[in-house]
Amino acid sequence: MNAISVNSLQKEYQVFNRKPGLWGSLGSVFWREWNNIKAVDSISFQIGEGELVGFLGANGAGKTTTLKILSGLLTPTSGSVEILGFKPWRREREFQKRISLVMGQRTQLWWEIPAQETFRLNQAVYGLSDKDYQESLGELVEMLELKDYLAVPVKKLSLGQRMRAELAAALLHRPKILLLDEPTLGLDVVMQKKVREFILDYNKRWKASILLTSHNMDDLTALCRRVLILEKGKLIYDGNLEGLVRRYAENKIIRIVFDGDVPASQIAAIGGTVDSQKTSMWVSVPRAEISKKAALLLSSFPVADLTIEEPSVDEIVRKIFSKS
Amino acid sequence: MKKYLRAYLISLQETLQRRSSFVMDRLGGIAVMLSLYYFWKTLLWGHPSFLGYSYSQMLTYVLGMNILRSFALTGRGWELVGEISSGKISSYLVRPMNYHGYALALDLSQKTVHLFAALLEIGALLIFFHPPFYWPKSITAFFLFVGALMMASLLFFFLEFLVSSLAFWTSESGGPLFFFEIFIQFAAGAFFPLNVLPRLIQKGLSFSPFPYLVFLPINIYLGRVSRGQALQDLFISGVWAVVFGAASVWVWRKGLSIYSAEGG
Amino acid sequence: MKKYLRVWWKMSSMSLMAQVSHPLGSLGFFLGKIVRVAFFFAFIIAIFRHVKSLAGYSLEETALFFLTFNIVDISAQILFRGIYNARRAVTEGDFDFYLIQPCPALFRLSLTTFDFLDALTLLPVLGVTLGILHHLSASIFSLRLLLYLLLTLNAVAIASSFHIFVAGLAVRTQELENTIWIYRDIMFMGRFPIEVYGPMFQLVLTFVVPIAVMTTFPVRAFLGLLSWEWIAYSFFLSITLLGFSFWFWENSVRQYTSSSS
Repeated sequence: MNAISVNSLQKEYQVFNRKPGLWGSLGSVFWREWNNIKAVDSISFQIGEGELVGFLGANGAGKTTTLKILSGLLTPTSGSVEILGFKPWRREREFQKRISLVMGQRTQLWWEIPAQETFRLNQAVYGLSDKDYQESLGELVEMLELKDYLAVPVKKLSLGQRMRAELAAALLHRPKILLLDEPTLGLDVVMQKKVREFILDYNKRWKASILLTSHNMDDLTALCRRVLILEKGKLIYDGNLEGLVRRYAENKIIRIVFDGDVPASQIAAIGGTVDSQKTSMWVSVPRAEISKKAALLLSSFPVADLTIEEPSVDEIVRKIFSKS
Repeated sequence: MKKYLRAYLISLQETLQRRSSFVMDRLGGIAVMLSLYYFWKTLLWGHPSFLGYSYSQMLTYVLGMNILRSFALTGRGWELVGEISSGKISSYLVRPMNYHGYALALDLSQKTVHLFAALLEIGALLIFFHPPFYWPKSITAFFLFVGALMMASLLFFFLEFLVSSLAFWTSESGGPLFFFEIFIQFAAGAFFPLNVLPRLIQKGLSFSPFPYLVFLPINIYLGRVSRGQALQDLFISGVWAVVFGAASVWVWRKGLSIYSAEGG
Repeated sequence: MKKYLRVWWKMSSMSLMAQVSHPLGSLGFFLGKIVRVAFFFAFIIAIFRHVKSLAGYSLEETALFFLTFNIVDISAQILFRGIYNARRAVTEGDFDFYLIQPCPALFRLSLTTFDFLDALTLLPVLGVTLGILHHLSASIFSLRLLLYLLLTLNAVAIASSFHIFVAGLAVRTQELENTIWIYRDIMFMGRFPIEVYGPMFQLVLTFVVPIAVMTTFPVRAFLGLLSWEWIAYSFFLSITLLGFSFWFWENSVRQYTSSSS
């Protein structure tokens, strides 16, 4: 059964030209000039129960808009979205109890008081019994190593500690659907790793369906077997990471180790981009010409070792991002 | 000197551009003025005078309050509190200028705009409502009033600066400033002439700097204070301004040292 | 209902905790409010040492007008404190959390920062009001008292509708944080009975910005000076305004969820 099912989803924003000043803004309450912007352009995808999917795209490609539609914050212009049988934008209480949205740069924690107070508030908001709350809290505190920070005012927490507390606040009600917008934004490498491990752990433990956006390649390679790529509001790829490489890598990389020095300029005459490091060189060559070029390299230079590699996912994605 | 003039001019434009908050400020003042104008008008109906104020003097007191509120009792206290708690203040401190001077320049530009607005409002009120307006009996009284107005403005600037600086200690809260703003409007006579109050409180207030902010300047205008007395009042308010000027600089330095010790 | 009470209680105690974390600041706000009520009250008493009546009302009656204004004003602030931060809640994303969580967003937005200190300022006002009501009427339980109570509640309802409207504006335009201050500024006029103002203003304050209905009518009803037509008008007005403001709120949220980015 699909946990999330999206069919030809469209979202057009009507952005109005703001007029300056008090009277301008008062007037704009009643009449405005509109501009249409297509943020999401007929996209369809399904996400199964327990699936962990990465959501990629350049800034403004429509990722956040889609997440907001899925969480019920935005009403789509057309198309259908069904999450666990609910239509998100109706914001039914039963639906809201099953999802959660975490935004890396926004917080629901109260700033001046300890995070555990916000947890308690969420207990009341989600109507959790004391037993469920304690159980859920105990688990999250352990998984996120939050024990020492529960009683510290949020403003005194480091960014990493705060993000973990944020996750705990968002997951106390054990949502089956978790939407994460840049969950590792601004965290140091160690903290990123911890957050990733937690997300994976939560996903396994509760068979929760998770959709996450990130600009951080490590997030995607560590967490998501499947990725969705958006470009200018259109879904341009839906599949696993390896497939992504096959589809988008036009070139392969020949790695050569020479016996002695070979000037980079001579190699450049044969292959594409050259990256050199003392006696090792990387030459980027179109797929079709790979064997021809490799033979040419072997016959023309003192080669000690030669391997043919696929470009890294990182590079591919960076290329996709830079394109749009 | 030139850079302060520059700050004054830039801030003048800024005040005019942020029209909505400016209009809001004025609306508040107009509501207070109209309320009290009608209040006294009704109260004095059929009375020749009240506490020694003639009918026209009392109504002129209300209009004068609008001038004093606009020129003396306005400042950038909330901006300062905001800048202290957000840490924005440090970006000013690295610049080669005296922050007090800079703040005074910005303050003056706001006061200028508000003064003109107040004069316009009073003009409109005079045209539409024809209140009996009290014109000063002599040109000297008028100039003494202008002097008192300037002094009041400077004194308020230092007082407000002092209270706003407390934000260094109250961590992100303008509570002291809120209290100060409300208290000073009563204690200075910006809601009603202080003669209304019981004698004991009047006596107590006369030993404080507050009456020099609104009550005394208007009374000088209304000719209820002799020339000698007015000069003496001007002198005393000058002394207060020096005292609070020094205090505000001291507290400011103290606050900054705490601020930099904690690293913002 | 029980759930809302729990959420409200939790939020209130949290904002109390936040206040306690900077006591000097909170003390300033509290004292400021107390001083404002106390000074005006002292002013009215002081005035009456020199005159016998204001627009035909005695000291006790004038004081009752002033106190009623404060009851309405403070109650609205207690209920809708969060509205003063509505724009910030919207632009900083707090409002998004309110929308996706299973608890009405307006409820969260308004009561987010319930202020115990505000509630504390209401106590002395209520105390003195009770004293004056007792002084002015022979028997405690009377139709007039009932009308006074109902019309005061009615006034709180009208104040609520303004606040809800402003919350709607904040969600809709993500600007206009100042709008609520227009309300507060004009409300200043409610401190005195509207007979004080000229006939033109009386009309405006009755029909355009119904401050008279909020602060003058309850007292007039108590003094037996308000005809049933005006009482009917008062209730009609609050129902209409509340209805409109709720509609406007819902509509604004719908706009928000279909057009904001």
